[in-house]
Amino acid sequence: MIMKQNNELQLIIKHFFRNILGVAGFLIVMLMVLSAIFADFIVPYDPIALNIKERLQGPSFSHLLGTDQLGRDIFSRMVMGSRVALQVALPTVFGAVSIGFVLGMIAGFGPKWLDNAIILLLDTLRSFPTVMFALAVVALVGPSLETVIFIIIVTSIPTYGRVVRTQTLSIKSSEFILAEKSMGSSTARILLVHILPNIFGPIAVLSAMEIPTIIGLEAGLSFLGMGVRPPTPSWGSLLNEGYTLIRNTPWLLIAGGVPLIITTLGFTFLGETLRDAVDPKLRKRN
Amino acid sequence: MGKNKIEWVKIPLSRRQMLKSTAAFSAVMASSSFSNAWAQSGSTLRGRTYADMRSLDPAFSQGVSDEEIHACIYNKLIQFKPGSKWEWQLDAAADIEQVDTTHIKFALKDNIGFTNGFGAMTAEDVKFSFERVADEKMESPNKPDMDALSHVEVTGEREGVIVLKSPFQPLWTISLPYITGNIVSKKAFESVGGRIDTEVVATSGPYTHFSWEPKQKTTLRANPDWKGEKVAFDEVQIFHIDDEKTAEIAFEAGELDFTRVSLASLERLKANPPSNSTVEGFPSLYYVWVGMNLNNPKLSNLKLRQAIQHAIDVPSILEAAYFGVAEASTGIIAPGLIGNRASNKVPSEANIEKARQLLKESGESNVSLRISILNKQANVTTAQIVQANLAAIGISLEIDLHEAATFWELGGNENLELVINRYSMTPDPYYATSWFICEQAGVWNWEGHCNEEFDRIHKEGPGELDVGKRNAMYQRAQDIMEESGAYKFITHEYTPNIYRNSIKPALRPDGLPLYRYFQRS
Repeated sequence: MIMKQNNELQLIIKHFFRNILGVAGFLIVMLMVLSAIFADFIVPYDPIALNIKERLQGPSFSHLLGTDQLGRDIFSRMVMGSRVALQVALPTVFGAVSIGFVLGMIAGFGPKWLDNAIILLLDTLRSFPTVMFALAVVALVGPSLETVIFIIIVTSIPTYGRVVRTQTLSIKSSEFILAEKSMGSSTARILLVHILPNIFGPIAVLSAMEIPTIIGLEAGLSFLGMGVRPPTPSWGSLLNEGYTLIRNTPWLLIAGGVPLIITTLGFTFLGETLRDAVDPKLRKRN
Repeated sequence: MGKNKIEWVKIPLSRRQMLKSTAAFSAVMASSSFSNAWAQSGSTLRGRTYADMRSLDPAFSQGVSDEEIHACIYNKLIQFKPGSKWEWQLDAAADIEQVDTTHIKFALKDNIGFTNGFGAMTAEDVKFSFERVADEKMESPNKPDMDALSHVEVTGEREGVIVLKSPFQPLWTISLPYITGNIVSKKAFESVGGRIDTEVVATSGPYTHFSWEPKQKTTLRANPDWKGEKVAFDEVQIFHIDDEKTAEIAFEAGELDFTRVSLASLERLKANPPSNSTVEGFPSLYYVWVGMNLNNPKLSNLKLRQAIQHAIDVPSILEAAYFGVAEASTGIIAPGLIGNRASNKVPSEANIEKARQLLKESGESNVSLRISILNKQANVTTAQIVQANLAAIGISLEIDLHEAATFWELGGNENLELVINRYSMTPDPYYATSWFICEQAGVWNWEGHCNEEFDRIHKEGPGELDVGKRNAMYQRAQDIMEESGAYKFITHEYTPNIYRNSIKPALRPDGLPLYRYFQRS
């Protein structure tokens, strides 16, 4: 059994590294993660230190991407922005996946009435327009990193919950689950030992593909002033400042927009390649 | 001031004559190159407003954006005079004279009439227009500007006397030349129940209201029955464009002839203006300040508030948030107006040593505060500078961004701590002080500032006829505000405009347009 699992893993890795886009995606994601982790060592300046005398300077050796309206080093703010993006993306995905897993598995494995109730809850959450929901929450509790994470978790739960439910429903009637049931295994054992590992792969792929959406959402909320509080640097707030100064300097827009695009592409390539590698049918087709 | 019977005659034009004239005119226009040249040379003036029109009824005007239209379609006894000084000029009045402190005698011109057959403008129309604003039953939001009015005595068909309850100097700077001074037709308004909304019933100005496309534009057309000085444009289109950047792009694309531009673009536009365009800047009347809520226990210590006042560095704010073009303010009353102070009691420049000393004297430690701001770039930039300034003396400051809907509800919030605020202003100090009296605490007076002497100045100021004394009174009022420690004055901002060289704009001293006086150059 272990040997079979090792072979499967080797196949996935082999397939993954044969795909150039997948490798590119992996490298981009690694670059982003590393720059977020080691941001303190990479940035040449304190990203929130004001230096008004040096405001709105163009790129130079001392300021690679120039300075913003308050004389802050744009490159430093861009690098620190990756940390904020990751600080939002990781707990959000973890939170949404965890809650989505629980709700989806209960809905898929539980009685019909519970399934209906959970589906109603997920559909209700899904029906909130994200920006309107964000506006309402921010109006109530004020903008902050925690608020952004909460908003995105709440709006992402339905995506994971529905996928987990569908996967659970399809596995629940499998012969090996019926065999487990007939041997008297508890529901918790069936869910945790048999169903969870089988649906983990697709959810991992979905998470990888959702991360750019989450980062984009955080940037969007920060762009609208509903994200992280100033002076915390985020790609969205860089874009916001860049929009105001669009006719004066393009560097703020570049610093906010380019990493957002590259990260989105990176996670998308990574997610798609993972999906192809994990699914045996897609693996064969490629 | 004669007592002649008013003769207001519409142009005698039958339908057949009208068709003939139109056909002949069209033929001339079509057969010559004049037609094209005329159109291109701009018989339409295209301006921009930051807010959509909300009411055509002066009693319910919502401010500058409505007034820009009202000033074109209605007449007042007196209007603001375009130029660099706050002065007025005669409009519907042929003559106007302050007989004593509470009586103002006027006579109307004999050539002003209302559209849609509502006849000549009479003193009864003036009485109706002014008294309806002052009438409590009308619940006009502009009532404070006419509060001093007792009544208007009609002494002749075109003559009357404005009678005040008490002397009121802002009559000449706000009540008559601004929103509440617009004269409407009594007959027309009574025919529709006494008030209107966005449907016009009768106008009298050099332009008529042709159409309003919500959230898009208002179109005014030259009034064919206008007997005053001929207007320069057949049509005035005022586009609703909220965002200044968008307006700049519209101007550069040739879609606008006149617009305010953003401070961020001023330097670029001045250095490299679009062809055939001129960029000009004007000192604005708005006032921006950092306020501290006196009712919040966290800010009850005067020394702490003074430490904050001295820590904030206004020159840095002006450089970063206002691109170095706006001047530091000395209070709520802008230069050029009665009551403007030559200097502040608390200098605009930060004095970190003094701020630290004051903080030490306050006995406060580990101070952590929150500043609430409206989510606009200038405020965000200002707040970050204030944050850095306060950090320099050991006060930590968190920035709370708000959308307009939540921000404008903060006035009554007891938990409010620091706030960056910006109010509009009319050219009389009375208007500025009215928001900071005890009665306004928690409404527009977000700092909860309440001072007997200040309230007395606000009450007595409008009636003081001696300019020197009035000046000193309002200067003292701002001293009181500053002494409370609840205010750090930032700026009156700056209004940069851009316009085509094919037009000659007529502007108030603060750069706001008076479209009816715009000319073609």
